[in-house]
Amino acid sequence: MTIRLRNCSLVLMTIFCVGCSASEPAPTNRITQADLAIRAAVDAKAADLAPVELQSARDKLAQARKMMAAEKYTEARRLAASAQVDAELAEAKAETTVMRRAADQILRTYKPPTEAERESRKPLTSEPAAKDRATQ
Amino acid sequence: MRLNNRLKFRDLLALVFFLTSLVIGCAAVQNPTLEGAREAYEKALRDPLIARNAGAALGRAGQTLQTADKIWAEEHDAAEVEHLAYIVQKRIEIARTIAQRRVASEEIEQPQSSR
Repeated sequence: MTIRLRNCSLVLMTIFCVGCSASEPAPTNRITQADLAIRAAVDAKAADLAPVELQSARDKLAQARKMMAAEKYTEARRLAASAQVDAELAEAKAETTVMRRAADQILRTYKPPTEAERESRKPLTSEPAAKDRATQ
Repeated sequence: MRLNNRLKFRDLLALVFFLTSLVIGCAAVQNPTLEGAREAYEKALRDPLIARNAGAALGRAGQTLQTADKIWAEEHDAAEVEHLAYIVQKRIEIARTIAQRRVASEEIEQPQSSR
């Protein structure tokens, strides 16, 4: 009876240990998502406009791949998720920099129209004065 | 005999007090990294620029914060919670950046529309 109980507990312990080690699946999707996020950041010119964030994403993705190869799936998942969010930040920063530069450029070159210009741009109406001006 | 009873009662009271403070103490244990992320999220929530221009992006930060809270409460997994707190901070930064982009975009549209 004692032996049977001991055997049973050994089997349960083995099942528990196997269950614990197999609880985290390989984060293949996470790695793919991080890779895609890095590509999107590169397309948004993050290499020039957000190099720190992009490099951080690349380093983490490389580490995540190493962890995948070593079957350390929890570490691989975390690194891939961090790489993805770093790449998304790199993309957002790059796009914002482009937009800000465009806005600054327009604001530098833009001069508000003078009163006379605004008057001349008014649509022609049936008012006699406007007609006169138009015929002159 | 009466003294003995009183001592026993006092011991019981002390034990109850000790156990109660232990339970309260354990429940109130906070993760400083998670609290830092929460503080940053609450600050971002109060920022009208982000609220107006990047509500959805900030919402993603809030969802990750909720996940981190749940894991901390149920599993006390410090490594996972610290990882999620990092994600929260980055998502807040993304939301702030998106808000700045929308402001720049509006600046481009405004002078054009008044021309």
